[in-house]
Amino acid sequence: MEREVAGYLPGLPADQVEWRTLTFTRGNDALEVAVPVLTDAQIAALAARVRDAARRTLKTRTVADIAATIDRAVARLLDRDDPWRQKAERLLPLVTGYDAEMVRLGLTGYLKTFRRPELQKFLVEDFANPSILDDFQPTPKGGFAKAHGPELLLHIWAGNVPGLPLWSLISGLLVKAGTVGKVPTAEPLFAGWFARILAEVDPDLADCLAIVWWKGGDEAQELMWLVQADTVVAYGGNDALAAIRGRVPITTRYLPYGHKISFGMVARSALDVGKAGMVANRAAYDVVRYDQQGCYSPQLFFVERGGRVSPREFAGYFANELAAHETRFPRRALSMAEAGSVAAWRNAEEMKTFAQPTRTLLGDPAGAWSVAYADAPEGLSPCGLNRTVTIVAVDRLADAVPGLAPHRAFLQTVGVAADPEELHRLAGLLGAVGVTRICALGRMTAPEAGWHHDGRFNLLDLVTLTEIEQSAEQAADAFARYVD
Amino acid sequence: MSDARASESRVIEDLLAFIGAAGADEDAFNRMALAVFAHQFEHNQPYRRFAVQRGRTARTVKSWRDVPAVPISAFKELTLTCRPPEDCERVFMTSGTTQGVRGKSHHPTMAVWDRSMTLNFRRRFMGDQDRLRMGILFPTEEAMPNSSLARYLALAMRTFGAEGSRNFIGDQGLDVAAVTADLERAEQAGEPYALLGASYSFVHLMDALGGRRFALPEGSRILDTGGFKGQSREMEADAFYDQLSATFGVPRRSCINMYGMTELSSQFYDDGNEACPSVKSGPHWIRSRVVNPLTGEEVPKGTVGVLVHHDLAHFNCASAILTEDAGIAVEAGFRLLGRADGADAKGCSLAVEEFLKAARV
Repeated sequence: MEREVAGYLPGLPADQVEWRTLTFTRGNDALEVAVPVLTDAQIAALAARVRDAARRTLKTRTVADIAATIDRAVARLLDRDDPWRQKAERLLPLVTGYDAEMVRLGLTGYLKTFRRPELQKFLVEDFANPSILDDFQPTPKGGFAKAHGPELLLHIWAGNVPGLPLWSLISGLLVKAGTVGKVPTAEPLFAGWFARILAEVDPDLADCLAIVWWKGGDEAQELMWLVQADTVVAYGGNDALAAIRGRVPITTRYLPYGHKISFGMVARSALDVGKAGMVANRAAYDVVRYDQQGCYSPQLFFVERGGRVSPREFAGYFANELAAHETRFPRRALSMAEAGSVAAWRNAEEMKTFAQPTRTLLGDPAGAWSVAYADAPEGLSPCGLNRTVTIVAVDRLADAVPGLAPHRAFLQTVGVAADPEELHRLAGLLGAVGVTRICALGRMTAPEAGWHHDGRFNLLDLVTLTEIEQSAEQAADAFARYVD
Repeated sequence: MSDARASESRVIEDLLAFIGAAGADEDAFNRMALAVFAHQFEHNQPYRRFAVQRGRTARTVKSWRDVPAVPISAFKELTLTCRPPEDCERVFMTSGTTQGVRGKSHHPTMAVWDRSMTLNFRRRFMGDQDRLRMGILFPTEEAMPNSSLARYLALAMRTFGAEGSRNFIGDQGLDVAAVTADLERAEQAGEPYALLGASYSFVHLMDALGGRRFALPEGSRILDTGGFKGQSREMEADAFYDQLSATFGVPRRSCINMYGMTELSSQFYDDGNEACPSVKSGPHWIRSRVVNPLTGEEVPKGTVGVLVHHDLAHFNCASAILTEDAGIAVEAGFRLLGRADGADAKGCSLAVEEFLKAARV
């Protein structure tokens, strides 16, 4: 059986580390992944090493220089002839269960957003003058300021969407943080590979980051790391995030990213006979990509009446598109729990069709997708995931907005198909109830470079400023050698 | 008498005899199941529509395994009853709601439900005792007339409780002082004692006792049911039974877990919780299958699937139900593995469970 080692532990010889084996099986293929289980002493030593190295090297490099290094590492992963890229293409489908072609396309589309020009956009999104990360810069109010990233930034990643940890990992590197990332059991490989590539292309940075693992919920291990970090970024469900919050020292900055719900909106202007098919195709693609596991994946669509194509007809288009996508990107095999979620959702939808004859449920129970159609407006509620979606007919798209307000804390992306006026009108309403990202259908699962995850500042949230106030400058003048 | 009432009377009479018999082989179970299905197909219109949609009618169903199992969500959306609801003696409602809707089970008479409960309870919980002094960690039946668990515990106390048995949860909540006094009394008297209630109430009680321990006399027993349901802190099964055993001095083999549902008229029990998850089984008038929830087909023995229960005693609603509980079939019954939901979420997409939890707050 093929065996792969997860994590990246600079300074810790592999034979001094205890390893646990995770086994991933898809059909006839199996992969064993060794994940490290560190002792308290090893954790402390690793944290010190990363912190010191970052202080000595990363923090003395310019942000432009760091971006260039990241660019070189990303280039390796974009090169289909590169052994790392080949390994990723071969093993990630096996680990996550996602279709190989979907993983390949997804990786390329995603990694492209970390090339040097994109990183520059990323930087200026948060810093008018990115040099503030390198040196003191004059500020508009007078005086000077310099931005410092964390000494030790701990990332606690979750989920199995390939590559997702790269967002926060790269954010941390750009602000020159000593970086420790905890990989999720569901996809323990990618972050460690990236760390090793980075060390290959820029050996100076080899000790500035570490990739570790502990079993989710292992409070003792988690606590050992939490007390080492000065900033913690964590992903997961609210229960998991709340548990971590309870253990993070009060002086440590904690940035939790919880699970979110996203949805689509299709205006009547997009529902003429020529356009509706394409709109359905793109919307279905958003559903198919990573089987709705992303926070940006749509779970339902509000569709406006009054177009040439009715919402009910649109549901039919949608079903056809899901069926078509299935032949190209088959859904991954579901665990019993996931099948249970899909079944529970389907069953509930089926029962509603008995009580409300205008409702419809499309798709075979044993098939790989389902579309529920609701003829009457209803509030937001999650679907069963894994290619299950609800189409809700509304007289006007704006009618759907008040029902969203109670769920403010969970709203994220809305994919919109509407004319420009309607787009801006809806954006105003959606933003007011807490939606943080509005994009085209077909792009929901591919945020653009420099997006603000959950509306926050990915880089700015990580730094602290040191300001030299004008008074200090003026007072200093009095002590200058050249003072009169 | 109308057709419906005549059919119902026949079914009830047959069921009471069937339940009272010493056991039932496959043929006997099948005959009774087909008779109950025929009654439901004829007189329960929403169920009939459901069955027809699944391509099952009284003509095509030849085996109890063919009887279409309604998903438990149906009890929320549909009024699944042969007898008009207003003519029913009792309606039980689920405690969990989906956006304010609770699942309902209608009972024209409590005779079958009561018979099913008492026969099975005697066999599975009472051991060789006729009566035990009982402490009930749950509100009374009067306080919660729509709770099947309140009914269950009231019936247990009425039928098998010795003098002095009582409920310890009233308007003021859990009466810790009174439970403590009763437990002390049992220790001193040296007579076996039974503590029964919701699993989360045991957690509340143990938390309130703050580490205080009792040594209940030999023959004492504990019955917990229903899990924690967000009403108390969650505990791993092993930790829960260890703590129960340590707190009350009742060995884990005498800590019985009952698995029941509002959507059924019979209950499952294990034979103690020395090892978790324990093996659960029911009486001869209920049979369970483990299926793939999407196809409805049985999964091979030893594989995880979702439980389908076929409870003949649930004659007025739908006898065959598809649960949302994961399980594994084993020789003597099944192991219950908890809810088959998105708890092991793979991504950062909000799942129904977390959404509903937030909506409840």
